[in-house]
This record gives sequence, C-alpha cells and structure tokens, in this order.
Amino acid sequence: MDKNRVSADQLALMYLLIIAGGKFLSLPSILAADVGHDSWLAMCFSFLWDGVCLAFLLWAIKLNSKANMDMSAILDKSVTKVVTKIILLIFFVIFALRTNILLTSCYHMFSVTFDVSTNWIVYVLPVAAVGFFVIQKGFNALARASQLFFGLILIAVIALLVSPLMEVEFSELLPIGEAGWGKILETSFTRSFWFSDYLFMFFVMDGIKVKKHVYAPVFIAFGVGVVLTVLLNAVFVALFGSYAPSFDMAMSKIGVFSAASTLNGRWDWLTLSIWLISVFIKIVTFIYCEYKCLEKLIDKNFANVNWVLAIIITLTLMLPMLVSTETLLSTVIAWGLIPFTVVQYLLPLLMPLFTKVALNKTEVKHE
Amino acid sequence: MSNIKRTAIVIVALVLIAVVMVSFKGSDVLDRAIILGIGIDKGDSGVTLTAEIVSPGNGQEQVGTFSKTVTVDGATVGEAIQNIAEKTGKEASLGQCVVLILGQELYETVDFTAITDYFINHHSFKESAVMCCCEGKAEELFNNSDALSQSVALSVAAMLLDEADKIGIMSNSLLQFARSQTELEKTGFLNKIKFTPSENKDAQDPDKTQGFFSYRELAVFRQNTFVCDLNEDEVKGLSMFLKDTEGETFVSDSSGLKLTVQVNSKDIEQKINGDEVDISITLSVRLARTDSDEVTGAITAKKDKEIDGKMLDDVQKQATELAELYLKKQAEYNFDLIKLHEMSRQKNGSSRELAEKPTSDFIVKLKIEVKEN
Amino acid sequence: MKELKFDKLNAVYSGEDDFRVRNMNCGIALKVVCLDPMCDDAKVSSFVLQPLAYVNDAKSLSEIEKRLAVGTGVRKPPNFFSIVEDFTNGYTLIFDGNDNCISVDTRTGVGRAIAEPPTSMVMRGPREGFIEDVKVNLTLLRKRLKTPNFKVINLTVGKYTNTAVAVCYIEGVAQKRIVDDVVQRLESVNVDGVLDSSYLARYLDVSKTVLFRRVGTTEKPDIAVGKMLEGRVAIVVDGSPMVLTLPYLFVEDMQSPGDYYENSTMTTLSRILRFISVIASVLLPSLYVCLQVYNYQIIPVKFLITILNASEAIPFSPLSEMILVLIIFDILREANLRMPSAVGISLSLVGAIVLGDAAVQAGLLGAPAVMIGALSGIGLFTFPDNTLILSLLRLLVTFIGGIMGLFGVILATLTLIIYLASMQDYKTPFLAPYAPDVPQDRQDAVAQIPVPKMKKRPRSIPNENDERRG
Repeated sequence: MDKNRVSADQLALMYLLIIAGGKFLSLPSILAADVGHDSWLAMCFSFLWDGVCLAFLLWAIKLNSKANMDMSAILDKSVTKVVTKIILLIFFVIFALRTNILLTSCYHMFSVTFDVSTNWIVYVLPVAAVGFFVIQKGFNALARASQLFFGLILIAVIALLVSPLMEVEFSELLPIGEAGWGKILETSFTRSFWFSDYLFMFFVMDGIKVKKHVYAPVFIAFGVGVVLTVLLNAVFVALFGSYAPSFDMAMSKIGVFSAASTLNGRWDWLTLSIWLISVFIKIVTFIYCEYKCLEKLIDKNFANVNWVLAIIITLTLMLPMLVSTETLLSTVIAWGLIPFTVVQYLLPLLMPLFTKVALNKTEVKHE
Repeated sequence: MSNIKRTAIVIVALVLIAVVMVSFKGSDVLDRAIILGIGIDKGDSGVTLTAEIVSPGNGQEQVGTFSKTVTVDGATVGEAIQNIAEKTGKEASLGQCVVLILGQELYETVDFTAITDYFINHHSFKESAVMCCCEGKAEELFNNSDALSQSVALSVAAMLLDEADKIGIMSNSLLQFARSQTELEKTGFLNKIKFTPSENKDAQDPDKTQGFFSYRELAVFRQNTFVCDLNEDEVKGLSMFLKDTEGETFVSDSSGLKLTVQVNSKDIEQKINGDEVDISITLSVRLARTDSDEVTGAITAKKDKEIDGKMLDDVQKQATELAELYLKKQAEYNFDLIKLHEMSRQKNGSSRELAEKPTSDFIVKLKIEVKEN
Repeated sequence: MKELKFDKLNAVYSGEDDFRVRNMNCGIALKVVCLDPMCDDAKVSSFVLQPLAYVNDAKSLSEIEKRLAVGTGVRKPPNFFSIVEDFTNGYTLIFDGNDNCISVDTRTGVGRAIAEPPTSMVMRGPREGFIEDVKVNLTLLRKRLKTPNFKVINLTVGKYTNTAVAVCYIEGVAQKRIVDDVVQRLESVNVDGVLDSSYLARYLDVSKTVLFRRVGTTEKPDIAVGKMLEGRVAIVVDGSPMVLTLPYLFVEDMQSPGDYYENSTMTTLSRILRFISVIASVLLPSLYVCLQVYNYQIIPVKFLITILNASEAIPFSPLSEMILVLIIFDILREANLRMPSAVGISLSLVGAIVLGDAAVQAGLLGAPAVMIGALSGIGLFTFPDNTLILSLLRLLVTFIGGIMGLFGVILATLTLIIYLASMQDYKTPFLAPYAPDVPQDRQDAVAQIPVPKMKKRPRSIPNENDERRG
C-alpha cells in the first residue's frame, strides 16, 4: 500500500531513532548491575550481533526491492503457511512484550522524573491512540515525522551527552574487562537481546523504496546509534560508579551535572523531553508492528484501522496492570528464550535465502 | 440519527476530558514548599532538620532575601521532611535543593550513612547538590540570611560550586561524596563552613549582624563517620594533588617586594608500581593580578614585574612543604583523598586486599616543579 | 415556431430599469441591447452606435460585424448561454431579425485602481497588487510573463454569479496532470455563487483538511508569477484580489513577499526567526503552565522565585490563568480586525494597557503569564496564513499541557506532526522539503541560497522541467 511506503533514508533515520529510543532508558543500569563498569563492553557485543543480523536483513530487503513482497508472503512461499503463522505469533508476543516494557519504563520516567503520575489506563490510552492514528494515516507519515524530528532529537541527545562528557573521568572504566569476558558476553546476550531494534524492518519491508543505496544510510545510522549508545553507557557508569545500578533512568540522571544546572534548574530535562519523542516513535512503531502481525495472522488487509484488532492490542497493553513486568519478563525468558532467539537472530540470517526462494517461485508462476 | 451520533460524540469527548482531568494530578508550585537548602543537626528524637524555603512576598518586588527557614524534628530525615509539610501546609519539594549541610555535632558523633543514602536515592533531590558541613549547628548557619542579605543556600552553593576551585579549594557534590564513602578507599571530605561576623559600620541599622562564610577547612570521613579535620595548610597541600583546583597562592620576597604568585594550571603525572607511587606535579604560576575568573585563562595581567628564579624556588619549597604536610596527615589518619587506591585498581583491578590496604602502605615519591606560565 | 434568442432575453429582462434596447436600421433591422450598469456609455456609443449610425446598406449581420472594426472585442456568442453571460458581463449585443447575434466588449472599467495590497506590504520590491477585476489581474500576470507558454484556461463557476475563473500556468513547467486535475475540480464545482477565491479554495482542498490552509493565496502578481515559475498553478477569480496558488507547502507560509528582494543571508535569518517564534508561540504557554504544575525542577531558581512572587496572589490556577490570557488576547485580536483602523489603534492601547496592566495590578493575572501570552500572540503573526488555526492549536496544547504535563505536550506535538506529515495533495507532501526530506528544495525553504545559485526548480512540486535555466 502506498501510505506505508518508506524510503531507504527514512528507514535509516527511523532505525537510529529507534536505537536511541529504547537503549537509553533502563538498559544502562541493568547492565551496570551485572557487569559494573564494563557495561559499555556488553553493549558493544550486543551491537556486534545486531550488526551482522542487520546486514543480512538488508540483503533480503535489497533482493526484495523489485517484488516488494511482505514478510508473510516471503515466508509463505519459502517455508509453509503454518510456520509463517507460528513466526508471526512469536513476533506478536515479542512486540507486545517490548511495547509493554517500553511503556512501563516510560511510565516510570514520567512519574519519577517529571512528577506526572496517573493510572496506567489513562497513560496508555493516549499513546495507543497515537499508534492507531499512525496505522490509519500510514507508516509513511511516521517515517516523515521522524525525518523532521531526527535532527532535533540527535541534537538533544548530543547536548545531553556533551556536558557530562567533560566531567567524566574515563580512567574509571579501567581495567577493561574486569568483570570477566565470559560474564560480559553472557550479560550482553541475556540482558540486551530484548533490544535488537531492526525487527520493525520485517514489517515495513514490502514498502521500502530502494533507489540506489540501502546499506550505506542504514549502516551510517547504525554506526551513529552505536557510538551514541556506547558513549552514553560509558559516561553513565563512569559518572555514577557504584550507584549506577540504582539509577534506573540513565537518561534523566545523566544531565544532572550539566555545567550550570545547580542554580539554573534542570534545563537538561527540556532536551530530555525532546529525546522522549523518539521513545514514543519507538512505541508507536511497535504498536504498528503488532497490528501488522495480527492482520497477517488473519490474512486480511484493512484500509482503515480495524476496531477489533485495535481493542486486542489495547488489551495487550493492559498486561502490566495484572502482572509486574519483572515477573512477565522472567516467565517469558524461561519459556520463550529459544523461539525468541530464533526469530530475532536466526530469521534475519535466513531471510535472504527465503527471499530468493520466494522470488524464484513467483517467477516460475509468472512463466 | 446523525444528530444523536454527534451529541453522543460530544458527550463521550467531554466525559473523556473529565476522566483525564481527574486522573492527572499535578501539584502547583504555589502548593509546594520549595526547599533551597537543607541543614541537618543531631536532635533529641533523632535529627533536627532546617530547611530554607522559598517564600514569595505577595507580588511585591523583592530585593535580597526571599526565603525563610523552617526547623523540624524527626526520628529520620524522611520523617523530618514529612514534618515540613505539617509546618508549612505545603508539600516539601526537594527538586531545587542545592545545598546539604551537616551540623558539627551530628557529623562528629554519628554515622550518617542513612542520611547520605536517603538523599542519593531520593527521586527528585539533585545528586549534583553541594554537600558540606559546618562549624556549630546547621540551623544557626541557615539563620544568617539577614546578615548576608541573601539566601544562605544559594550563596553557599555559589561559593562552593563557582568560586572554590578557582581559589584553590576543592568541593564535593552529594554524588561524589556518597561514592567516596562506598567505593574502594571509602574516604572522602566535606568542606567546613564557618560564619565569621564582621564589624557593623552601618549607621542606619547598627544592630544588624554582618559577616561572611569561610570554607578553607575540610572534614574527612570514612564510611560516613568523622575521621579528622584538615587545617588550611593541609587543604592547600591536598590541592597540589588535584588538577581541577587552581588559583592557590604563595607569597614570595623578591628584591625587597612582597609579591603573590598564583598557580594557574597544573600538570600531574602519576605512576604506580606495586606500592610505590611516583607523583610529579608541574605548577605553572604567574603573578596574582587577575580576577579569579581569569585564573585559568591564557590572558596574562599587565606585566611590570616578571617572575624570577627566586620566586619559583620559593613556590617550589612552599608547595613541597604543604604537600608533604598533607601526605603525613593522610598516612597518620589512614584516609585517601588523592585516590592512590583507585590508581592501583585501574592498574591491577579491584581486590579485597586493595580495599583494606592502609594508605600508609603506599610509598609516595613526590616531585614538584614550578615554571612560569 | 422556435423562440428567438432576443425574445428569450427580452422575456427575462424586460421591465428592468437597466435593460436598454435600441432599434436601428442599417439596411437590416437591428436590435442593440445592453445592461446599463455593466456598460461604459462612452464605449457603447463610440464602439457600437457611432459606427452603426453611418451604415445603411448592410445586408447581413456578418457585414455589420466587419464594420465594427473599432471595437476590440467583437465576437459571435455560440449559444444562448454565452449570450446571457456576455450580456451580464457588460457586452453590448446586436441582434438581427434572423436570430443571429454579435457581442461587442463595452464593459465598464469601474473598479479599484491598482494599489499596494495591505496584507503584504514590502520594504523593497514591486508594489502592484491584484484587484477585483479578473481582466486587470490577468494583465498584471501577462505583463510579467511575456511568453507564449503562459496559458490561461477560462471557466465560469457559480449558478447565479457566473464568476469568471482563470486557471493560469506555464506550459512546460507546470505538470499537465495537475492542471487537468485543477480544471476538473473547478468544473465539477456546483455552487450558487462564488464571491471570492476562498470559496473555491475549499473545493480545491483534496483531502478536506479541517485544520490548516491547503491552498496558497497571494495578492501580489510578482509572487504569483514566482510560484508559477516553480510549477504551481495560479487561479484568478473575478471579484477577488486573492489569487490562489496550488500545490501549497507549509513552508510557503513562512516565506514573505519581501524575502526574494533582500540579501539571502538576511532572508534566512529572518525565516529562522519566524520559525522559532511560531514554535515558541505554540509551545511557550503550554510549557509555562506544565512547568508550574508538574516540573518546577526545570525552572531556574531565580525565575521560579519571580513566578512565585507574581502568582502568589492570583486567584486562578496556572492553567486557567494562561487560558484566560490567551482568550483575552484572541478577543482583542478579533475585535481589532473588525474595527475601523482609526479605532483599532485606540483599541489595542486600551487592550494592552487597561486590560493587561490593570489585571496585573489588581492581582487577577500574573505578569509573567500576561507577558508570555502576549509574546506568543504576537509571534503567531509570523505565519499570517495559519495564524488563526495556530492560535487554536496553542489553546489546545496549553490545555493538554496543563492537564497532562510534558507527557501530554510531547504526545500532542508528535501527533500534530504525524498529521501534518500525512497530508499530501496534488502529489505534494505538505511538509516538504523537510518531511520527506528533499535536499534540492532546501535551497529555498527555511534557508535561502542566493538566486543565481538556484538552478533547479523545487522537486516537491511536480513539474515537467527541472531546470530553471534554458
């Protein structure tokens, strides 16, 4: 559909915003709790994984650029329909969980940092409404909006990082690898495998306009995202040392030492709220992906937002009211580690192969 | 039908707005007791907490003081802060608090870990707030705002944050202090604020006390308990080791004139090898003829007199003496403000032995050089 | 027997005082008809009556037509409908006895003289403005576009008003598909009357936007030509000094007519200023409110003390105080618009001094709130086309900010931008060249490069020829 088209540049910028949106929230303190000042290394390793998967996924996107099949069509043709449905179901669960985790972190951010405390329903409904608005208007509108916000958000993130960067003694991060390389690797897998951000590309791959380059812009965006995230992690642990694990909102705390903040109020929080736009862009993208999962699960394509699906998604967003996110996470990790790993890290690697198979089949049909 | 639909939509929208309005509860600034500074003393029931609160004056233009102090008691800091709400009728809000001051009796006799913990884990209290201690009671210190004609909290914060490191005095934020008390060497310092009254020559208001704060002494703590005081000379000695503080002054006689020489940048090289620590410090000095703001700047003052070799020698001698004075005290009381333990950790990783190692085990080889800037 | 066209016309208009019929005999019997108020008497007598007075040997109407060589616009209306149209437009009609008719242009020149339009005064640059006469307006355009590629498609819209509408474009620059689309939309307009171009703007708005203007307007021929040179279509409507231009981008509202006659660096700076001021205008009141209600930590201590000082005695909550200020400002603006300009000045004085100052003095409104309200109100005028809608949005965002804090402000801003980004009329994204990003067009959006360096036409507006040169 036309309204869901995305250009390669837009894809790259959205990817960068999505990296910046989630990884700055609670991940730094979670990592710091496990591996202390080596958390930035754990972050690097998880990005290494992401980079490899991303390259394969982009390859698949490039192969698919002429046929513009959507993910479920490719899977239908290469593996069977049943497998496709199972994969879609896993994706749905992943996205539902990640949306919830993000929303919870964001909820904490607002109530702790910004003193905006309200009940979960009133907090979630407006966000969900924005999500459905995007589904109605098309993913392209969101992509364009992020193009507009991108510069602003990047400046905000850099502005937030600059002043602590001056304050921090990076020598505190020495010696490198003190927590033990095995532990760092393990942490980077168990803690951050929730945060692979390229997943949304599966659901927009039918609309990606590949003109000339797709690797270059996306990998530049990825590179910038990696640098910013790793830098933020390093600054965070160097600044807060042994207290890093107890500050669960890295981004809101990191600006506290901004040169003039003591008498001048927390101006850094205004930049912080600009950055929060990227968190909402991420949440909205996930809601979009959830919706697409459901659509493809029931093999329908609605022109407008379908109320039933919207209600189902809204209900999944109410999960944190019943179960705490921690229990939710631990249960899901206990049960779903393998399927999640398959979908997140194996599927992208196989995607080019599947796309080729699907393309061959379509060509045969045409002949 | 469409009319009914339209009415229904309007009603639903109104209900939604009402629900949202009820669900979000903001707290207006006027309903908040906005705390600028907190002083904590030992109290009968636990702690006595003095808070300096913004107190606007009914739309009148105000010059000078705009704050009042409230003193409350409580078994813990948390309880005392709750009691502020009782006394003021407003919600105590710590988000703008810039100073945390500990009274002398409290810090000398009590382990105040709970207090540091409370503030560092408080949601809105800024970790960058200045933490210091004072001579006598913190409550009395806060009641000097009339003498200063301005808010005590703001002037202490301005002194310690903006000016201190330019006149050779180090200062600590809450986070830095809290970290120093829990990590590795587990020792840190707080500036000691002292109110010094001065003679009142104001004919119009002869009864008013006048004075200023001085903060040239430090108190040293290990795991939130008092260790010892550092006097002015020892503080000056300590500042030789810290590259962020500048502007220390030395006096030298040169060709019959008494001149002040000021440090305007420092270059510190540290090497650790087992227990041996080589510290070589290069001080760049010039004649003290600039505002403190320009201490570190490249622009030099008008030169009618160059620094000569004798002056450099004087400075070198004085600086070495002071630094050694500090090192002696450090070894004697077993604290580590120049982060010898941290240096060792960065090289060899952390270990239990290192954490428990007395500072006197480190053999410091000090070399100070002085050059003209 | 078939009814004669003259009789039909006569049946409609006879009895009207301004319906003039003159019988003449120039060899054949002729009826000369005109509608008095629409015709210039001098033109009727010198272009029609005088030449006819010397003719007495004509055999047919075609011969008469040849004798009327002094008239510039002489034609044969093909059907009754065009006869009526010519007649009501001030043409003089000449009928013979065989149901033939010719019309001679004797339209009156009554109307406003060309003057500098009050809505877009410039320091430098041309001062001519469009007036209410479509013919003059087209003249103003043609004067600037001396090329055979300048094309005009004439239409008539409005059941009763029969308003002449001219769709103008440059062939080879404007995309034909867009022109056709516009013409088709105009032809399908079914309405009683068109009193101003803004009537048609509603019909040309493809996505039927509730908020925001989607069709550009200009009162200056130089601007209209500039836009046509970028591939846009201009629509001139008789009776309206406002010429519509399509497709329309959001950034156009920020570009003032004078921009192209100033140094491009200055233009860039002033556009950035306009941009900042409009963002500040929309967001400042809401930030002021939500910082007071939720995020007092953000406000610098000394400013906080000022706010507390100013608002301690105010009987309203920060939100209602701000909304009150904004509404008062909107009332003042509305009243000012409707007042004659002489009274308007005193009204602004009364509004500013009496209302503002007295409210602060009396302790009803806080001085910072009044200042922020006023600042934001003035800032909105940097986007003249969208001032009203932005002021409505400002109220809305302030309301949301006051209730939901920064959470609401962020969500509202995001939604607004997504909404704007989703709009796309005539293949032109509303927020181009920023969302989507069109690098080529950024040369004249917020920043402006010097004219000699602008070698390409904007890509976001569909065109048939990208090159500005050759």
